[in-house]
Amino acid sequence: MPFALSFRSSRLPRCLVALLLVAVSPAGADWFGKDKKIPDWGLEAAKTHTPAYAKDAPAVILFDEYVETVDAQGRSVERERKAIRILKPQGRHDANCGVSYDVDEKINYFRAWTIADDEKQYPALDTDFADVGDLAVPVMLSTEKRRVVHPPAADVGATILCESEELLAPYQQEMAWRIQSGVPVVFQALEVDLPPGRPHSEAWHRFLPVKPVEAAPNHWRWELKDTPALDLRDVRKAPAWAALAARMDVQWGDAAVEGKDNQWRAIGQWETTLEANRSDPSPEITAQTQSLIAGAPDFYTKLGRITDYIQKNVRYFIVERGIGGWQANHAADIFRNRYGDCKDKTTLLISMLQVAGIHAVYMPVDVRRGYVDPDAPSRYGDHMITAIEVPANVQDPRFKAMVKANDGERYLIFDPTDERTPVGNLPSELQGSYGTLAAGAASQVIALPVLGPETNGTERRGSFTLAADGTLTGSVDSSHFGPTGADLRSMLKYTDQKERREDWERVIGETLPGVTLDAFEFTEPAALDKPIEFHYKVTARQYSHQAGLLLLVRPRVLGSDALQFDDKPRVYPIDLGATGRWHTSFDIAIPPGYVVDETPDPVDLDLDFASYHSKVAANGNVLHYEREYVVRKVEIPPTEAASFRKLESAILTDEKGTAVLKKQ
Amino acid sequence: MRISVSLRSVLFFLLLASPVFLRAQFQQPSDEELKMTADPKAPGAAAVYLYHEETADGPAHASIVYDRIKVLTEKGKELATVSIPYEPSVDKVTAIEGRTIHADGTVIPLTAKPSDLVDIKTKGFQENSVTFTLPSVEAGSILEFRVKMRRDEEWTYLPTWEIQRPYFVHKAHYSFRPSAFTNMMYAFNIGPNAKVVQDKKDVFSLDIADVPPEPDDDWMPPMNTLRRHVEFFRNTGVTTGLAFWENQGKSWASWVEDFTKPTGRIKNALAGIVAPDDTEDKKAAKIYAAVMKLDNTAFTREKSKAERKKEKLKDIRKAEDVWKDQSGSDDDIALLYVALARAAGLKVWPMKVVDRNRAMFDNTYLSTYQMDDYIVVVELGGKKIYLDPGQKLCPYGSLHWKHTWATGFELTDKGAILATTPGLTYKASTIKRVADLNIDADGNVNGTVRLSMTGPNSLRWRQLALRNDEDEVKKQFNESLLADLPEGVQPDFDRFEALDDADTGLVGIANVSGNIGAATGKRFFLPGLFFQSRAKHPFVAQSKRIIPVDVHYPMLEQDQVTYHLPSSFNIESAPQDADNTWPDHAQLKIHSSAANGSVTVVRTLAYNFTLLDPKEYSNLHDFYQKVATADQQQLVLTRAPVAKGN
Repeated sequence: MPFALSFRSSRLPRCLVALLLVAVSPAGADWFGKDKKIPDWGLEAAKTHTPAYAKDAPAVILFDEYVETVDAQGRSVERERKAIRILKPQGRHDANCGVSYDVDEKINYFRAWTIADDEKQYPALDTDFADVGDLAVPVMLSTEKRRVVHPPAADVGATILCESEELLAPYQQEMAWRIQSGVPVVFQALEVDLPPGRPHSEAWHRFLPVKPVEAAPNHWRWELKDTPALDLRDVRKAPAWAALAARMDVQWGDAAVEGKDNQWRAIGQWETTLEANRSDPSPEITAQTQSLIAGAPDFYTKLGRITDYIQKNVRYFIVERGIGGWQANHAADIFRNRYGDCKDKTTLLISMLQVAGIHAVYMPVDVRRGYVDPDAPSRYGDHMITAIEVPANVQDPRFKAMVKANDGERYLIFDPTDERTPVGNLPSELQGSYGTLAAGAASQVIALPVLGPETNGTERRGSFTLAADGTLTGSVDSSHFGPTGADLRSMLKYTDQKERREDWERVIGETLPGVTLDAFEFTEPAALDKPIEFHYKVTARQYSHQAGLLLLVRPRVLGSDALQFDDKPRVYPIDLGATGRWHTSFDIAIPPGYVVDETPDPVDLDLDFASYHSKVAANGNVLHYEREYVVRKVEIPPTEAASFRKLESAILTDEKGTAVLKKQ
Repeated sequence: MRISVSLRSVLFFLLLASPVFLRAQFQQPSDEELKMTADPKAPGAAAVYLYHEETADGPAHASIVYDRIKVLTEKGKELATVSIPYEPSVDKVTAIEGRTIHADGTVIPLTAKPSDLVDIKTKGFQENSVTFTLPSVEAGSILEFRVKMRRDEEWTYLPTWEIQRPYFVHKAHYSFRPSAFTNMMYAFNIGPNAKVVQDKKDVFSLDIADVPPEPDDDWMPPMNTLRRHVEFFRNTGVTTGLAFWENQGKSWASWVEDFTKPTGRIKNALAGIVAPDDTEDKKAAKIYAAVMKLDNTAFTREKSKAERKKEKLKDIRKAEDVWKDQSGSDDDIALLYVALARAAGLKVWPMKVVDRNRAMFDNTYLSTYQMDDYIVVVELGGKKIYLDPGQKLCPYGSLHWKHTWATGFELTDKGAILATTPGLTYKASTIKRVADLNIDADGNVNGTVRLSMTGPNSLRWRQLALRNDEDEVKKQFNESLLADLPEGVQPDFDRFEALDDADTGLVGIANVSGNIGAATGKRFFLPGLFFQSRAKHPFVAQSKRIIPVDVHYPMLEQDQVTYHLPSSFNIESAPQDADNTWPDHAQLKIHSSAANGSVTVVRTLAYNFTLLDPKEYSNLHDFYQKVATADQQQLVLTRAPVAKGN
């Protein structure tokens, strides 16, 4: 197949770089393992009885031990020993071991064995191993690979044993010990063997801290027993799995200092040093920036022209080779190529702002709200955004996404990778999260703001005519602003006309079965802070149904604000997605000869985190439907589950509401 | 900038003196190309290929891909990233050149080093991708790149020209000079006004213009029936397709006769399966039941080399080896059935067919590689019965849908012939949903739902249960059922009946609860069609279609829903009876009846087609629009007025 060209591309609105490094369990390794004899630790681990609490799980991890041996320079060799028992046929998927490695890393060895249910022992052979490239993200060019083993005799009842050793990259001076998995873990341990005098620090996320044992001088060992699985499969509106999963971070680099604030400061300092000089402006950058800001009357305009330029002209594309997973390219290269990932876009933005006399710094974050935990300092995250210093004399109400640092400096938080959310606003998934303000010695972890409902939403107006045969025709004009508008703009950017039509017919068809999209048009102002408009015309045959002498009409017509919910007891927070205000106003002209006999009751519900108001009224021959849905929080605690159910039930009831028309 | 590019072009030209490479030089774009902002030949397109070229020169062991692409919108910028998979043991990437030309004529050459990335590497196999992204792309840019590879001298070319690209192609040129010692043929589907030319030097070439983009639609037939392509294959010495299939059929027949020979070991095995006085029907069924019990590695897993070594298992070379191992692949087990049936004296033939879920048979593509799976034909009482022993839990006497209406070799008394299996009818593929629901005065519902399935619908769940435990299947069934229930109603799956009994219908039973009512002051409304209130009907939104429709198999759906109403409710109006018929194709019937405080709504939807020509699409669209609207009807109840709270 010499000519099989495949064009990888599509959008990835977020940068997954560091996530990919943390998402693969770092372990050790050599080219295919040759040692055929099962080691004692494996034989011992396989004797572990399957605990009763694991009986419903597809597999159980009986034993999982990491040993990090750190040299004088802080470089680590990581060994992992793991024993997994397959309990159900689908548990085979949980029984594959793997070791990720990049250009700066080396697998010393990687071996695997199986002890079958009948006690027969099978070593994995060379042919059972494979190296797999990092192809998961279409817009990424990554040198990272994962060596995986497909263990022999991987049947129900079998215990899979894997052992690997890997020389980690020199800049990897933190171990993110992911202590919770999709299956239960009977026993797990982490050892960190440090050279004399090298300090360490530890932090726990969603887990009660456990004290380590000093097995030898400066050789620490943590042990955990009976860790439950984290299974969110049946949990509606759950926060991100990674945000809820327990983990422990151990630092032995610069961040191995006393106190959380000091640790965050060290992490931010590391980031600052890593990216030092990356944002130095080239003459071309300087010229472009000066051209952009020429004549700008104020700070907002100057800033907006630069952010707008980057959002519209720098294509999202990740090139990741080793340290490139952490470190940005040089601004001059990014500017020349007009592509880059989140770190690159931030770098170019900082560079151009520097030309404009505006100071800005890197801010590592994670789009999985709750993953970055102020109580668990860590370098790991999956995204990079920008914190732009706003001078004290600038007070502009358009800057909504403002934070104040400990030193009193005010920063505007901005995501240059999000190509459609205007400066001043913030993508919903980042709101309520935390980021590292990488400001050198002034670095800190900082809470990202949750913006008010007025910063996001949709205004939808529709005018319809209902014929006596039940056909509904009409037009809808909607206006979308804030992150909702940004999503729509992104959809436009990454689809062609055919795809748009198909998408919208599908979306509208979900609430208006049998609909035909007669025409549609988007009005997209160049300025990102202006709402995007969507105008469309629809026909729905037999929208209303005869019921004897009655004609039944659902005044809501189309669109849904309802979120999935159920009556199960709630343990986890409820993710509401985004704050905002969504308003709908529809008029339906009823067929001549009919009058409105009944309408659904109005709904008025005001809660702490949201409100919903809806009413249907008959004005002459027009049925008027109006509703407003306001969300004020992005996430609520499980204790609010009853209120959430009440809200969703009210919305659902309203959306099903039926008006009755009667022939005169 | 342009000087350096043209210098490189000269060097490149000198390196590539072969005539097949004369075209792939960088071109100066025309003013029209530079200024283009939309393409009337491809309205709304994000990009178009101005030119695409693929050349392979066997004697020179060299190939080139060359593209000129006009980016028209933001989305089209995705084409700036190019990834070319190749096998490093076969090919070496020898040169990559690229450039972006802005609408104002500015040229930005590709300077970043392309990356050579491992896609997969195992012992004995490696596939890499050479990947690069062109710089400074903007809407309006022209992307131009050329990739040259050199093939190891031990390997020859056997190209497939995929004529359709993701976007409209204005012009394309394909060329292939086979190695001197190879004799090539090709199968093609290149649309009108184009022709593959073979010149006196045996160079095959194709020049084609105005190629529409790759087909992309829901419910499409397999891509091999749609895509425009030229597929080269070795000429095995025959001059016609008929002769090819005859020759290949003979070879296949010889191999399969040998594999399924009723050896002594097979006869011994048979003795434990059938009784001498069994009828032929009984023998056929008993053998089927016996092979179904074997370990079918298509549904468990293949044993690794380490296991086979440990268990001293030899490679399977004959049907008797499958019986000896009590394990084999789906094909092994199908052929074992043939061997046992032959030993039992039955008139039985193997058949090797194309998997219709992947492709449909193409008799112009002279390659037996297109045939995927073995099934069995047995003649009982003068009637041909089709069996699918390789499909675990497939009922005796039926085929997995992917093997219905599938073409391939069938061994007969007269040797191997090309034949097609029969299709399914709607009666053989049914889903019956029965709900018995109690409604209270607040619209709360609780009751039971019973789903009975036959044919492909039951086989799907049963085969899922082979790869997962029952709890997991129940969870997935529950999730699937949730999509069929009205908003606000939750299923709680109770049990399966006959999950592992292939010879009877599969039944799934769930309890349901929630709230489905909607009220006004005097009335109460319930979904008239309980299982359809949020159904996503196909073919409703799309009004026109140029690609055939493939629904895989016909189907009969029957819903019977009984609402038991509170005594305070009276029925004002039930869903209207409906009888929408699309003659010879599909029918929807709805009937409601009331008795003793209950309302029962029965809905039947049947469609008895598999593939539809686009000419019939408007009828299909009309039919499903009627289905979609009929399914939205409501049951209207009157109730005593409820006092409102303060």
